[in-house]
Amino acid sequence: MDRRTVLKGLAGAGGLALSGGLAAPAIAQGTSARTLRFVPQANLANFDPIWGTQYVVRNAAALVWDTLYGIDAQLQPQRQMVESEETSDDGKTWTFKLRPGLKFHDGEPVLSKDVVASLSRWAARDPMGLMIIAIQQELTAVDDRTFKWVLKQPFPKMLYALAKNNAPCSFIMPERIAKTDPFKQITEYVGSGPMKFAKSEWVPGAKSVFEKFADYVPRQEKASWLAGGKQILVDRVEWLVMPDPATAAAALQNGEVDWWENPIADLVPVLRKNKNISVDIGDPLGNIGSFRMNHLFAPFNDVRARRAVLMALSQEDYMRAIVGDDDALWKSLPGFFTPDTPLYSEMGGEILKGKPDLDAAKKLLAESGYSGQPVTCLVAQDQPITKAQGDVTADLLKKLGMNVDFVATDWGTVGSRRAAKTPPGQGGWNMFHSWHAGADCITPAAYTAIRANGDKAWFGWPNSPNTEKEITSWFDAKNLEEEKAAIGRVNKAAIEDVVYAPTGFFLTYTAWRKNVSGITKGPLPFFWGVSKSA
Amino acid sequence: MLSYILRRIVATLPVMAIVALFVFSLLYIAPGDPAVVIAGDQASPEDVERIRQSLGLDRPFLIQFGSWVWRILHGDLGTSIFTNLPVSTMIGQRVGPTLSLMIITLLLTIVIAVPLGVVAAWKAGSFVDRAIMAFAVFGFSLPVFVVGYVLAYVFALELEWLPVQGYTPLTQGFWPWLENLILPAIALGCVYIALIARITRATMLEVLQQDYIRTARAKGLGQGGILFVHALKNAAVPIVTVIGIGIALLIGGAVVTESVFAIPGLGRLTIDAILRRDYPVIQGIVLLFSFVYVLVNLMIDVIYTLVDPRIRY
Repeated sequence: MDRRTVLKGLAGAGGLALSGGLAAPAIAQGTSARTLRFVPQANLANFDPIWGTQYVVRNAAALVWDTLYGIDAQLQPQRQMVESEETSDDGKTWTFKLRPGLKFHDGEPVLSKDVVASLSRWAARDPMGLMIIAIQQELTAVDDRTFKWVLKQPFPKMLYALAKNNAPCSFIMPERIAKTDPFKQITEYVGSGPMKFAKSEWVPGAKSVFEKFADYVPRQEKASWLAGGKQILVDRVEWLVMPDPATAAAALQNGEVDWWENPIADLVPVLRKNKNISVDIGDPLGNIGSFRMNHLFAPFNDVRARRAVLMALSQEDYMRAIVGDDDALWKSLPGFFTPDTPLYSEMGGEILKGKPDLDAAKKLLAESGYSGQPVTCLVAQDQPITKAQGDVTADLLKKLGMNVDFVATDWGTVGSRRAAKTPPGQGGWNMFHSWHAGADCITPAAYTAIRANGDKAWFGWPNSPNTEKEITSWFDAKNLEEEKAAIGRVNKAAIEDVVYAPTGFFLTYTAWRKNVSGITKGPLPFFWGVSKSA
Repeated sequence: MLSYILRRIVATLPVMAIVALFVFSLLYIAPGDPAVVIAGDQASPEDVERIRQSLGLDRPFLIQFGSWVWRILHGDLGTSIFTNLPVSTMIGQRVGPTLSLMIITLLLTIVIAVPLGVVAAWKAGSFVDRAIMAFAVFGFSLPVFVVGYVLAYVFALELEWLPVQGYTPLTQGFWPWLENLILPAIALGCVYIALIARITRATMLEVLQQDYIRTARAKGLGQGGILFVHALKNAAVPIVTVIGIGIALLIGGAVVTESVFAIPGLGRLTIDAILRRDYPVIQGIVLLFSFVYVLVNLMIDVIYTLVDPRIRY
């Protein structure tokens, strides 16, 4: 082998790789008024909205799969794929009829058998679905457009369950796909929604492409969140993942992307200075910050210790750590439910109002028998919201005289360690931080974090029979007044027993180029009605 | 030579086996659980357990390792836990951007760093030498992401000469391909340029003291000929070695650079996979990087024979 042979070989190998011999994604496309380039909140790493319940999957799925009902901006369920429904006098039998002309992206008609298979798969993974399964007698297709759900007892929240935007949503898939085990991923992404998923262009972690579905039949009503006529006004929507917020901000300013779902608060002033960019609140339902205490082990197995922490915490400290100095982005929250929604209540929330009382909190903590044992506080450093909250909590606990074992780690580790029911010194924990989408905290229906049924509850395993009793009374409520009263009692009971610690309510912005119009505020980005000029 | 290369390639097999065992063991004992990430924040512990079972993550270490090795031996890197796509497909999607970035960076580095080092050695002790070495120290000291942000601000946002982010494959045109890589390559190359320039200077200083250089000068050869034909060729072996070692630096730097410039390469795939605990993808990438590193070392050994005829295998 001589020098010339080696050099030729190297040049040949390099040329092959770069000229397309290796698969390469087409990330940068020409700018076009028919293509909307969107920076999502996170990477679309999988695309099964039943198997994976991350918000980003739900958001993308809402383009590809349709639902029987859709929640509107007034938080009311509206017909979507369904033309009509009937309830028997005893409230136990629901009969639904599909709209005519519904088609899947593969050209096949949407039939009742598809709906039955889809609802069965969804119900196996959804908290409300599991409640329905528990009282289900049968779910059957009557004919191609009619299906029937027969229950052993009435379930007044049926339409809400089918319409809700909390993940997992009851998306309708073809029967062959919906028969996949709900704990295994689907491999075909065929829906009947307004856009098709271009699987061949999918580069997980970088790019996802959706193309307009020409045969979609939108409803005649005006679109409102997940309800109404989903008119797609562009040919193509590209989701471009940008892990670095500074890059996303620069790309938006440079016109390389059209819409950035959730710019971080620190960069909003820069975006606002750009005359080509609009910035506004993205989701009016916002988020509720939280930390959970482990109810199984000392010191937080004693309600007095949990109350002491609530008594000492300043929600303002938490909110400023998360959103900075922008007062329009946060408010204090003396409770657990999303502010400015119909059922919102502050009943029993006095402990979270006014200035923190550190002296009283210290006294209560001493009464609980706390004797200086380490408090293991898990803080994910790779999530800005949990990191900010963790820093404030560490300071709070120290002010209370607690011995903080601050475990700085990543979200993946927190996610698995929080499931450990072992004592804190043996791989367990005392506290971890999180946050909940306000859309999930409107009612107890999809609000896993408020449940207080001990071993079956979310991490921290709170056991509060009063809270559970009032949650049941909400499910049984027959009108809005009864629902409101029940939610007030849930709030009071959950605060008394400190199911978890709410750290405040905060909003986030969304930003877009001014040549894009039709963007509406909502709990997820809605692409129907959005258009773009050149 | 050919038999030497074949022997070296065969010798990589035990290295790869050790890497594979190490990586698999490390991931097995590392905290974190992909099932938790998949299930979402509101999932119940029962849901998480069901997902863990469906992924086979509840099986004993040896069984998991055995089935992974068996698949590798059959040329199958496995399937991503999250995307359900073959790991080889995911790596294939990402090789182009990373390879492009590394090649442009490497070319840029060699074109800038080697002449700088040669000039610094030639003008040793002078203002030019000090200026070049100050530049090198500056290059070493600046983190890649800082350089990246500054470049993006100046050349993309202010001057609007180049795009901020993204990648266009070469098949869509040379300039669209190149314009996306210029800023990332400069950002990534800064440290590398500093490293090579310093090594070139040090090696050249040694060579320039040799008798044959004095002879060349005495014969009346021009300065350019002495520096770039006689001295540089004899200083090339350590420079080539450092360039090879520096490829490991480039792989590490690509992780940050690809994030800053939103380039869909292997670096970002690595980070995403680690954060989500996508074990098959992490294992596939680490194996690939190990293989590339071994291969680069082999190439360097071969290049030695090209720059120094005394070296024979």
